[in-house]
Amino acid sequence: MAKAILYLNQFFGQIGGEDKADVGSSIHEGLIGPAMELDKHLDAEITHTVICGDNFMGSNTEEAINTILGFLEGKQFDIFLAGPAFQAGRYGIACGHICKAVKDKFNVPVVTSMHEENPGVEMFKKDIYIMKGGNSAAKMRQDIKSMASLANKLIRKETILEAAQEGYYSRGVRHQVWRDDKKPAADRVVEMLIKKVNGEPYETELPVPKMDRVSIAPPIADLSKANIALVTSGGIVPVDNPDRIQSASATRWGRYNTEGTDDLQKGDYKTIHAGYDPAAADDDPDRVAPVDALKAYEKEGIIGRLHKYFYSTVGTGTTQAEAARMAKEMIPHLKEDNVDGIILTST
Amino acid sequence: MRLEIGNFHVKDIVFGDKTAYANGILTIDKKEALDFIRQDEHITEAELYIVKPGDKVRMCPVKETIEPRVRISGGPLFPGYTGELLPVGNGKCHALKDCCVTVVGRHWGGFQDGLIDMSGEGAKYTYYSQLKHIVIVADTDEDFEKREQQKKNRALRMVGHRMAEFIGQCVKDMAPEETEIYELDPVLKRKPEIMTLPKVVLVLQPQSQMEEDGYNDLLYGWDTNHMVPTFMHPNEVLDGGIISGSFMPCSSKWSTYDFQNFPVIKRLYQEHGKTLNFLGIIMSNLNVALEQKERSAMFVAQIAKSLGADGAIVAEEGYGNPDADFVACIVALEDVGVKTVGITNECTGRDGASQPLVTMDEKMNAVVSCGNVSEIIELPPMETVLGELEALARDGLSGGWGTDEILGPSVRKDGSIIMENNAMFCGDQVVGWSPKTVKEF
Repeated sequence: MAKAILYLNQFFGQIGGEDKADVGSSIHEGLIGPAMELDKHLDAEITHTVICGDNFMGSNTEEAINTILGFLEGKQFDIFLAGPAFQAGRYGIACGHICKAVKDKFNVPVVTSMHEENPGVEMFKKDIYIMKGGNSAAKMRQDIKSMASLANKLIRKETILEAAQEGYYSRGVRHQVWRDDKKPAADRVVEMLIKKVNGEPYETELPVPKMDRVSIAPPIADLSKANIALVTSGGIVPVDNPDRIQSASATRWGRYNTEGTDDLQKGDYKTIHAGYDPAAADDDPDRVAPVDALKAYEKEGIIGRLHKYFYSTVGTGTTQAEAARMAKEMIPHLKEDNVDGIILTST
Repeated sequence: MRLEIGNFHVKDIVFGDKTAYANGILTIDKKEALDFIRQDEHITEAELYIVKPGDKVRMCPVKETIEPRVRISGGPLFPGYTGELLPVGNGKCHALKDCCVTVVGRHWGGFQDGLIDMSGEGAKYTYYSQLKHIVIVADTDEDFEKREQQKKNRALRMVGHRMAEFIGQCVKDMAPEETEIYELDPVLKRKPEIMTLPKVVLVLQPQSQMEEDGYNDLLYGWDTNHMVPTFMHPNEVLDGGIISGSFMPCSSKWSTYDFQNFPVIKRLYQEHGKTLNFLGIIMSNLNVALEQKERSAMFVAQIAKSLGADGAIVAEEGYGNPDADFVACIVALEDVGVKTVGITNECTGRDGASQPLVTMDEKMNAVVSCGNVSEIIELPPMETVLGELEALARDGLSGGWGTDEILGPSVRKDGSIIMENNAMFCGDQVVGWSPKTVKEF
């Protein structure tokens, strides 16, 4: 019989609630919590359950992943599962991280489940199978069943059908398929036209993603009186990276006070961005976050003043949804200081 | 305008003493047919084969397919191309159904040529595995393009069209087994009950990307590159007013047989007077310069608007650069209030992760998708090959390759192949046959 391993957080792993969220990773033989229900539906034996606290995984992601990969080393398993994570954001992200890492390292299929509003969906749906799940543990049985049905197909190496049919979030890939009803394109196109001209609902076969365009702001009337802020997705942070911003697929950001400095010094600041060669930015962080040039402009009176913080995160692999969320978190700080304009630098 | 197509359903094709049709059997006098083919001084060698669905036959490089027909009132099947110019779409023709004349290069292929498997896993990739074929395998003296990736295939294509006329003659004086009637009253003189139905046009974008003559689809013999969009009767397309060209990766191409049998046109006819009022066709094109694309979109939108169209279908013969024409045309129509549905194929890459069309627009909110050109297809060896299989790897067929670090060559020593869908002969069937679609995974 095929073998499976399941990942759970501290809560579903029956260690404890929020007060135990800092607990490190551990591996246990046999079935814990949801593993028992999953085991009933799976055409595989769940040999181990891996547990890690959500906060520990969130704050020490690399360490937690490496420890868990170490646990799995030498173990025989045909599939790896995680969750279901419902709408729990940290848990969903944890399931995504560990599934992706296990898939990359051991080349086994991985399956998890999340509610559509779980940020883990946006972050990991391109990399792994995430089943569309419920918003709370009340949907546990249902979500476990759907995870098991896809997992069983993967175990049997059956053809995985399109996302809508199997119930996983689209991974952003499109392939041709032969329709079961063999309905020729001529029938489809004429029927779609009749529906469209009559104002009836129809379903396009090629959905065009909504372009989330932001209109360009009107120019600043008098730059010499304007309060200008600097925001970068180039990953410039104080050398100790106090906000522990991730080097890729960032979900965290930081703001750093530049009062009393005219220049970001090498050794004080660096980039933690993993998407480009850091040498030039580490040698002079102003190359990505040009505090020096803006301070000079401030002195020359070209701009009114430079907002006292610069804001930083990492753009590589970061989803549009996460980037928008981080921006929304930055905005109140910028508004509080009546910032008139923002210079956004990338890499 | 009223077109009557008298059908003769060919159940079998055999070689015999006299080219004739009787009781579903099409007999071809091979010697006479080959003599006819060799009348073209550019044909240096030719052979004739009969191939049927289920045969263990692979054809490559396939250049063109044509339905054999005869014009009852006389005159060429393809005016301005195989003979003098005359208007078509009105009158009678007889057609030998369920079969086609197929032209295959004896040796040399090119960017635009394709492959047909008549049985096995590969058969599902092209409509043409379902037809009976009278196959001309030939070579020419057109040495200037022998080693060119882009080939005009002038002599081979012409001999195919002429052969379709030649064979069609045998049913000229016979009574057809059934008759299809395609008739539309003049746009402004239709019955009141039809005039109240939603008015729709079909916009066709045949292949016209090449600047030099000899490659593009021909409209009454005229290069579609050198025209601005114009209003046409659908019968003109069904009756030989337009022929296929010799450019574009093959799965995206529309062969002459495709034009003669255009399923979207026939489907619109079925709905005419019931759910819609089929005004006719706006014949556009797919030129490469941006200004030409914009000009064509402007003309199409203006004609549709002036005709009072409520809806339109836009179909493109191609992908990549032509996607810009396709999307621009849909946007232009939507902008003048014509509700539009597009029909096309996609290029999402071998991994499926690329943007499906080179340009996208939110106004393009209704599309029928017929396939992904870049899907990888691996097929076992076939007992018989007509043509030269090596052409798929050697001659720059879109969808074939000579070497690949990971996949190896397209054509292997044992005769098995690995290729992209791109090289399947008219495989994406955007004219309306396609049973395929594209789904998110």
